[in-house]
Amino acid sequence: MADISLQNISKSFGAVEVISGLSLDVHSGEFVVFLGPSGSGKSTVLRMIAGLESIDSGTLLIDGKVSQDLAPGQRNVAMVFQNYALYPHMTVRENMAFGLKNIRLAPDEIKRRVEEAAHVLEISALLDRKPAQLSGGQRQRVAIGRAIVKEPAALLFDEPLSNLDAALRVRTRVELAELHQRMKSTMIYVTHDQTEAMTLGDRIVILNNCKIEQIGTPLEVYNTPATKFVASFIGSPAMNFLSGTTSQGKTGANFVTSDGLTLETNIALSNFGAFELGIRPEAIRISDTADGLPAHVRVVERLGDRTLVYAVLPDGTQIVAQDSGRSGVQTGDKVHLTFDPSQVVLFDAEGKAHHS
Amino acid sequence: MTSGRLQKLNLFGGIITVVTLLCAIIWAFPIYWGIVSSLKPEDEVVRPYIELWPETLTFDHYWFALTETQIGRWYINSIVTALGVTVLTVSTSMFAGYAISQLRFPFRRTLYWLILASFMVPTQVLIINHFVLVANMGLLNSWAGIILPQLIHPVVIIVYKQFFDQVPKDFREAAAMDNASEFGTLFKVYMPMNWGVTTALAIVSFIWSWNAFLWPFLAVTKNEMMTITVGITQVSDAFGVYYARQLAAAVLAGFPVAFAYLLFQRRVTTAITLSAGIKG
Amino acid sequence: MIRDRKKEALVAFILILPFLSIYSLIFVYPTIDMFLLSFTDAPLIGKGEWVGLENYTRLPNDRRFDTAFWNTAYFVLLSVIPGTFVALAIALGISRLQGRLQAIVLALFFLPYILPVSVVYRLWDWTLNFQFGIAMHLFDLMGIDRVPIFKVTGWFMPAVAMVTVWWTSGFSILLFLAGLRSIPNEIYEAASLDNTNRWTLFRRITWPLLWPVTALVLTIQLILQLKIFDQVYLFSVGGRPNDNLVMVYYIYQRAFVSNDGGRAAAIAIVLFIIVIIVSVLNFQLMRFAEKRS
Repeated sequence: MADISLQNISKSFGAVEVISGLSLDVHSGEFVVFLGPSGSGKSTVLRMIAGLESIDSGTLLIDGKVSQDLAPGQRNVAMVFQNYALYPHMTVRENMAFGLKNIRLAPDEIKRRVEEAAHVLEISALLDRKPAQLSGGQRQRVAIGRAIVKEPAALLFDEPLSNLDAALRVRTRVELAELHQRMKSTMIYVTHDQTEAMTLGDRIVILNNCKIEQIGTPLEVYNTPATKFVASFIGSPAMNFLSGTTSQGKTGANFVTSDGLTLETNIALSNFGAFELGIRPEAIRISDTADGLPAHVRVVERLGDRTLVYAVLPDGTQIVAQDSGRSGVQTGDKVHLTFDPSQVVLFDAEGKAHHS
Repeated sequence: MTSGRLQKLNLFGGIITVVTLLCAIIWAFPIYWGIVSSLKPEDEVVRPYIELWPETLTFDHYWFALTETQIGRWYINSIVTALGVTVLTVSTSMFAGYAISQLRFPFRRTLYWLILASFMVPTQVLIINHFVLVANMGLLNSWAGIILPQLIHPVVIIVYKQFFDQVPKDFREAAAMDNASEFGTLFKVYMPMNWGVTTALAIVSFIWSWNAFLWPFLAVTKNEMMTITVGITQVSDAFGVYYARQLAAAVLAGFPVAFAYLLFQRRVTTAITLSAGIKG
Repeated sequence: MIRDRKKEALVAFILILPFLSIYSLIFVYPTIDMFLLSFTDAPLIGKGEWVGLENYTRLPNDRRFDTAFWNTAYFVLLSVIPGTFVALAIALGISRLQGRLQAIVLALFFLPYILPVSVVYRLWDWTLNFQFGIAMHLFDLMGIDRVPIFKVTGWFMPAVAMVTVWWTSGFSILLFLAGLRSIPNEIYEAASLDNTNRWTLFRRITWPLLWPVTALVLTIQLILQLKIFDQVYLFSVGGRPNDNLVMVYYIYQRAFVSNDGGRAAAIAIVLFIIVIIVSVLNFQLMRFAEKRS
């Protein structure tokens, strides 16, 4: 269990700088998730911590020890690979013991650790099988077991659930959360799945184009996204965006849609001009009265507990609103939409978010 | 499709199957004929009509070959040299194939192109210089002399390289995370993962070397140092003009490789197909 | 991956060292040595005087070289093309069979390939024996006069070519079978829905899809048969070796019988160059064919 600290880390592949000046602190015992679309650099950062990618400049501290030039095996971190990379010719026991034998641990200590890890992961009965004889979920556990027997300072996960089917993925996700509760070890987890990130992470690091967009707890990134990218990436269905302009109003900025309708907000702005307004589906109310934005209902999805209403504004902007499960809205209805002012976000031309 | 047409097709297919089976039997017949003849007494062998099965079954010719000739000695020479060629070829090729596939070092590409280029050089044209070289080393009529020039098998390196290329990069990284050394990664991860290829290549190398004729024929002048492949045709006075004896000796020479093939059919055929994919 | 470049290069060097030393000793050095030798009048073992191109310039007027050259070409013609088509026909027949039967039939066709050349020689020498060979009974049946096949120049090359086809077809059959297996069944199913007959099926589907394998087989066989020696040598014993000379046989004669190392090396270089030209031509041809498809 240890702190990991990345200080001003950069890396290039040839002439292309893929990571530049990245800094991040992972606290001891924390579960940090790197979330981003493919190509966002999340795996690269993880692999830099593991030592599988070199760090061109900057400092990597693992448990206070300068580690950027150490070989992967010497960093006291362990990794669970996306394809598990279980050695096919070794039994489960041998797979787990391989790393320990290489550092010449005493045989009874190896045996103790392997059996303990197997017990924790409930794979004791599988120890003498080969990977080919295991199911996908069992292989996954062995891969985790191979990592935890090293009693590493931190466990690194590279999209470990992406090879499992949907049902197993949910179950394993819960088990991982339990495992973290029990072991209290530092974990860094890479995924492109926002549900995994929201449910597992103590903090989420959202990356896009090899840059950190935001670091925060799941609720922080959901409720107060720092950028338009974060706002659009987190949440399902995604946040709605309306384009328009802002001007000074009574309580804060006024947002004028392209149709010329004015929405009052209580967001204080220092500059005005072209902005985008963001609003989550659940913060939109469908009103029976004539106030709010007029909209035309195209599709109604009834999910039982809630209803998703897909509507179009006069200027053509698509809007998704969430209504109650017993909503009476019908396809083809003309409705009016009102926004909960406390949940309105404004994004400036650079994509930076302004909250109330 | 009408049932009449279907029947016509089936009839045609049936004829092809029967023809294929007949051809197979005719094809293998000389082998059968050789074995049967070696089991007949000499006077039966030279009868002017065909007998597909011996009237009197006899193992005398085998007994003669095994006791009265140096065939036992030739067996030992063949086994030792073929094993030597196999072990040396497979191990050096595996190491080189691994280095070219997995490690970065200066002139790596140059080395690879050199190996590819050497496919074009027929070893048969090098016999003169191999002979001079081996003679100068004082290795004529020795096991080492028979083995040495047979160690050029660039194809084995290429097959290994291609196999190691196919191993997902994750395994190398997992081994690095597991603190395995470079040699540990080769011997404990990559090599055991490719046992199938190694055994297949080893069997095929053994067969190639057992069957080698030209070089062992040149490198050995003493009867007792001959390999069995060379010995059975070169020591004419050992068998005399006794056809059955000669055939018995041939059966003895062919038996180990034929047996190895029948035992490991699948591995032999895969290895041979593999080695051909790039020989052209 | 974090790699210690120096250490990695060192490990690589240790791993390639055994191969590299063997390769230099028995491949690079002899190749260079062969070139040097071909410009001298040295005997097989020992030093000789530098004679320039003399060993080469005398080749056009060398009757035996002429025989060896044309015999080799004749042999290649007789063995490569028939061998390839025989193997293709057999592979087509085998590919129709299934399961154990297929394995057994394949084994029957493949077994000769696994045998040492001297065994092949003994088997066919016996089968075609002038007095007692079973093939001669066939000749009698068909009313052909018996011939001592390997003692008659006109019969020699065709007979050796036939034995070679018998011996080496197993290899080509394997390649054709692999090629046939890689043609997806759906193509045949789609074609049979279009009421295609067997011959059209072969001509329009199997043959074009199999062409790359056919080219590969032809190439391998061609290069292999240019280097023919063993069978010709063995079957010539007691016959007329000088009429049956092929290139490698002539190299052998010059070097090991006449003790002319230099002259033998020059012939070896000629063969060496022929093989390289054929290889390069083949390689270009295959690339051209690949581009077109």
